Amino acid sequence: MASIYQPSLEDSSEVKEGFLCPLCLKDLQSFYQLQDHFEEEHSGDNRHVSGQLKSLVQKAKRAKDKLLKRDGDERTESSYESFYYGGVDPYMWEPQELGATRSHLDAFKKHRAARIDHYVIEVNKCIIRLEKLTSFDRSNMDAAQIRSLEKSLVSWVNDQDVPFCPDCGAKFNIRNRRHHCRLCGSIMCRKCTDFVPLQLAYKLTTGTKEALYAPGTLGQRGSPGAQVAPQIPRRGSISSISSVTSVLEEKDDDRVRCCHHCMDALMRYQLKLEEKDHVPDIVKLYERLRTCMEKVEAKAPEYMHMAESLNAGETAFNLENAAGLRMEIQKYYELIDVLSKKILTLGLKDEVPPHPKALQLQKMVRYAATLFIQEKLLGLTSLPTKGKYEELKEKRKEEQVKRIQQEKQASLEAQKRRSENEKNCPALGVNGSVPGPRMTKAGGWLPQSGTRSELDDPLLQQIGNIESFLQQARLANRTDEVAMLEENLRQLQDEFDAQQTRRAIRISRKLAEETDLQQRQIEHLEQRELENKVHTKMASLDFRDNVQDEEQDGGDLVDHLSADLESKPTKFGNSPPVARNREEPTPQARNPFDAEDFSPVEEGATSSSSVEIKRENSHAANGKKEYNPFEEEEDAEDDLDAGTAKSQGNPFEDEDGDEDRGNPFKEVSDGNPAGSTNPFDEDDDASMDDMIEEELLLQQIDNIRAYMFDAKLNGRADEVELLSENLRELHRTLQEQKRKK
Amino acid sequence: MNVTLAVKQYVSKMIESSGSGMKVLLMDKETTSIVSMVYTQSEILQKEVYLFERIDSQNRDNTKHLKAICFLRPTKENVQHLIQELRRPKYSVYFIYFSNVISKSEIKALAEADEQEVVAEVQEFYGDFIAVNPHLFSLNVQGVSRGRSWEPSVLPRVTQGLTSVLLSLKKCPMIRYQLSSDMSKRLAESVKQIITKEYELFDFRKTEVPPLLLILDRSDDAITPLLNQWTYQAMVHELLGINNNRIDLSRVPGISKELREVVLSAENDEFYANNLYLNFGEIGTNIKNLMEDFQKKKPKGQQKLESITDMKAFVDNYPQFKKMSGTVSKHVTVVGELSRLVSERQLMEVSEVEQELACQNDHSNAQQSVRRFLQNPRVNEIDAVRLVMLYALRYEKHSSSILPSLIEELTRRGVSERHRKMVQAVVEYGGKRVRGSDLITPTDAVSITKQFFKGLKGVENVYTQHQPLLHDTLDQLIKGRLKDSQFPYLGPNSLRDRPQDIIVFIIGGATYEEALAVYNLNRTMPGVRIVLGGTTVHNTKSFLEEVMLTVGSGGDRAQGSGRPPSRR
Repeated sequence: MASIYQPSLEDSSEVKEGFLCPLCLKDLQSFYQLQDHFEEEHSGDNRHVSGQLKSLVQKAKRAKDKLLKRDGDERTESSYESFYYGGVDPYMWEPQELGATRSHLDAFKKHRAARIDHYVIEVNKCIIRLEKLTSFDRSNMDAAQIRSLEKSLVSWVNDQDVPFCPDCGAKFNIRNRRHHCRLCGSIMCRKCTDFVPLQLAYKLTTGTKEALYAPGTLGQRGSPGAQVAPQIPRRGSISSISSVTSVLEEKDDDRVRCCHHCMDALMRYQLKLEEKDHVPDIVKLYERLRTCMEKVEAKAPEYMHMAESLNAGETAFNLENAAGLRMEIQKYYELIDVLSKKILTLGLKDEVPPHPKALQLQKMVRYAATLFIQEKLLGLTSLPTKGKYEELKEKRKEEQVKRIQQEKQASLEAQKRRSENEKNCPALGVNGSVPGPRMTKAGGWLPQSGTRSELDDPLLQQIGNIESFLQQARLANRTDEVAMLEENLRQLQDEFDAQQTRRAIRISRKLAEETDLQQRQIEHLEQRELENKVHTKMASLDFRDNVQDEEQDGGDLVDHLSADLESKPTKFGNSPPVARNREEPTPQARNPFDAEDFSPVEEGATSSSSVEIKRENSHAANGKKEYNPFEEEEDAEDDLDAGTAKSQGNPFEDEDGDEDRGNPFKEVSDGNPAGSTNPFDEDDDASMDDMIEEELLLQQIDNIRAYMFDAKLNGRADEVELLSENLRELHRTLQEQKRKK
Repeated sequence: MNVTLAVKQYVSKMIESSGSGMKVLLMDKETTSIVSMVYTQSEILQKEVYLFERIDSQNRDNTKHLKAICFLRPTKENVQHLIQELRRPKYSVYFIYFSNVISKSEIKALAEADEQEVVAEVQEFYGDFIAVNPHLFSLNVQGVSRGRSWEPSVLPRVTQGLTSVLLSLKKCPMIRYQLSSDMSKRLAESVKQIITKEYELFDFRKTEVPPLLLILDRSDDAITPLLNQWTYQAMVHELLGINNNRIDLSRVPGISKELREVVLSAENDEFYANNLYLNFGEIGTNIKNLMEDFQKKKPKGQQKLESITDMKAFVDNYPQFKKMSGTVSKHVTVVGELSRLVSERQLMEVSEVEQELACQNDHSNAQQSVRRFLQNPRVNEIDAVRLVMLYALRYEKHSSSILPSLIEELTRRGVSERHRKMVQAVVEYGGKRVRGSDLITPTDAVSITKQFFKGLKGVENVYTQHQPLLHDTLDQLIKGRLKDSQFPYLGPNSLRDRPQDIIVFIIGGATYEEALAVYNLNRTMPGVRIVLGGTTVHNTKSFLEEVMLTVGSGGDRAQGSGRPPSRR
């Protein structure tokens, strides 16, 4: 890496000697240290350069530079002399802050408030009057009675004052009679009147929906559509009433006459009431979708971090933990997929098809969810398999050892160079061996820092320098300088001692922390192991007691894991080790499909619990208290590969149903650990390879499915074909593997 | 100074402040383009914006579970539509943002319509322009002038656009304009008027050197938009036409359905971003590399994935592969079409003559070349006309001009009358009589020597020797050599220091060649940031339409000022 920067090293070599970092010009002692430094400090700068596209981009950039350089040469004589004098590519301009804005909200609110007050008062007045108008029993009174009562509640406008209908301008006469709005008392012609049905009036005045369906108010009209209700009488008022009933004798039994304006206000109020407590299905589903997405957003980075670290062979995280997290995230993806699909098909089966815009909304939500899955899921790095992980760990260890050696060597080299330098320097002549005595000075030197070069410490170097100067000064008999240097030396040594003490304290503290951490990690590991056992239904007898002791814990963990997913937590909880099951397998138990056949009610989720109960009954004689249905499934997967493979082959087709079997992610969660903890292979080193392969295979199947899903969505048939080909291949390999055992 | 980000920030802010939940973006025709230039659909979907509606669309459903973000220009029609909308609200909450200054009375009218209290926000967010590149904006306005003065309806729009750029970048500039153009002066005054009127808005933190707004007129350089281009972005626009980052490929022979219209956006297409300013040859190489890479990655049908490691490699590569496949097919198609057009229309040869006409001063040579091409039956009609136009502009006053005989030649070729008329129109639009600067014959000693040396040395690339006039103007401006007599300041103050932040605006439209020149200036000049803007971004075709609208050749004036599809 350093060689790339050779030119710049040469440039600066006159000023500063040694291994300088090309980016920060920090002096580093050796090539290897420089390399380490570069990797650590500046890795972010161009480390992401992965993949061919990137390298292509770099190529392009280089080409661009070349072009610009040439252009620059060409133009130097025309306009400017130097091309590389610090201009900035517009794409690199410093981030743009938000531009100017101006809010009109205050002015807006001020104007609105005035208007709203007026509006609210009007509506409230209407509602109050309506309540009064409907509080008496109309059916038992005659028209005149009602009329006088209404008149007493609202003061009516005088007939003489209004010669024309204020709404349509028609002249009032014997045929075109005046009508009063019962709510505001104003006058209009018959054509301009509206009616508030009592049913609606009750609803508005009580402010609840129940009134709409309250029995007794209107027997003949049980219409659930609230908006339809007021329209029916209105239509009647215009056509039927004018023709059938006498114009003079109108008895408003089940409605209150009012003007357009009051009606309008009431209708808007009603709409508001309705919307207040109505939450459409799409919103409910959407909210769940969003929570899932947020969970993924929160968990994915954590997983990525883990996977990265694991793939690098580091031991900071546990492989099983990561696998668990991966599974969890994948389950969320599955849920997102299902939810968004539900949103997509919302209302499609209704008689009245939803508005095209609503459909478009549903489509877009689904599309966004798909994009989300594509982007995040495809970016989910796979984990190394167990064996691979061991290899990686080994490799890393080796690398570390090598690096330490390199550093040692480097320090040796540095020392050598130094002594050479000093030899070359005639003034120093006698005092060649510098580092020796200084070590004694460094009283606080700790064994832990043994790998570090002693010359690393700048203070030590400085001390060395001053000592040699002192020597020289003494030789030259310059007492004043000697005194000054001695003073300097003392200060430096004090400082160094203090530094060493601090370091010692720090190191011991860190050690304590580390042991603490290890302790915790061990505990954590133990717990995880337990959980894993419960989860994968470890069949080992040796662990049984142990598992039983800790069973509750493990169960809780699993519960927690699956509770979010709304999968059935009871499956895992309280399931004791089921090794005994294996000891005396019944023919039935070996095949879950058979079991399902003879009890067709069982499907997916419910199946497991019902099987549980049933089995419990059937095995009661054998003295078994509880039974874990998953044990069966696992067995079945070994035995009935063909069957499962078939259902796996096309996992996306039957995704619509909520069956666990059709669910690819679910599948993996069952299959993956099953491979890794195959009871027959346990503690069998020879079969380790097979095991790994199987694990890898399962992971591959999982990946390919994801891609297939993606390809299908994008309608790339050729890719789907290719992928399914791969999938088949994988399944075949998997079967062969299993057969070998 | 990044105009793309400036608009993007506004849009992001709008979406952010509306909180979570499903949202609909309610826009008008112009704001739709403004938003679409800075945000892709998938990007905006991730911010929970699922629907995009036009405020004037009648076919909108009552969907009370959606929040509406309205981003509208403050036009009378929009305010009317909005009032109607608020009277009968279709969505639960409204966040209203105007792209420019709105009057108090209109705010009042809106407030009074909001009886149901659905409005949660009313703000002015000054994203009233099309951000093409970080340093290039357009207003998508064509037909800005009638003769030598402003089309009355356009000036207010251009003023609004330009002030919104200033506001979004938070610049309160000193203004210089081109003296020879009356339109420049009018616009400068109009902008100044707004700055004075809305002084509160323009009250930004003072910088050491105040920013500078330079207003120029297209008619000063009619040659640049007539030249064939050889850098990717400019070339695509010249030959295929870019309209709000969209390229219409429907006329490409044998085009597949999904490639009928492609989007080229430097914001999220890395290949495009890296090749925007590369010349055609380099793009060819890069495309080849891209293809090869893709081929390597593309799993072939026969190539069985034998081992698990093979398969793993495939799976690991898949996401990249998938991402690549879209880019590859798009760019391969575009570049393929470009090269087809280049060879079909003999553009290399044509361009060579164009450059010769534009950059060299050798009349006899030029006239011979032009004549030769007019006789070549394979040369496209528009290219022939273009050569004659360049000749006419270049040797307008030459003593032995052969323009009449060239026009005759065009007639003999059967070139339509409309096109023949254009030659005259272009001279009228950008001829010597009109020009304020010396576009063609440099007068001062330095330029003459420069030209002389250039002639001696020869040029490396004959197709890209032309430098737009804008480059020299800006170069002089930065060096403090731009003459006050030609480009006076508006108002008494003038800039003493070297300018730092410069906004150049070209009335009548900028070009991508000029965008490239500005890009290079930005890259090379330390401490200077330049943003280029124009009433539109021209290619030859749209420029000629603009010229025809301006000169007003009677008869066949294009109807309406809407932007016609800019395709060859």
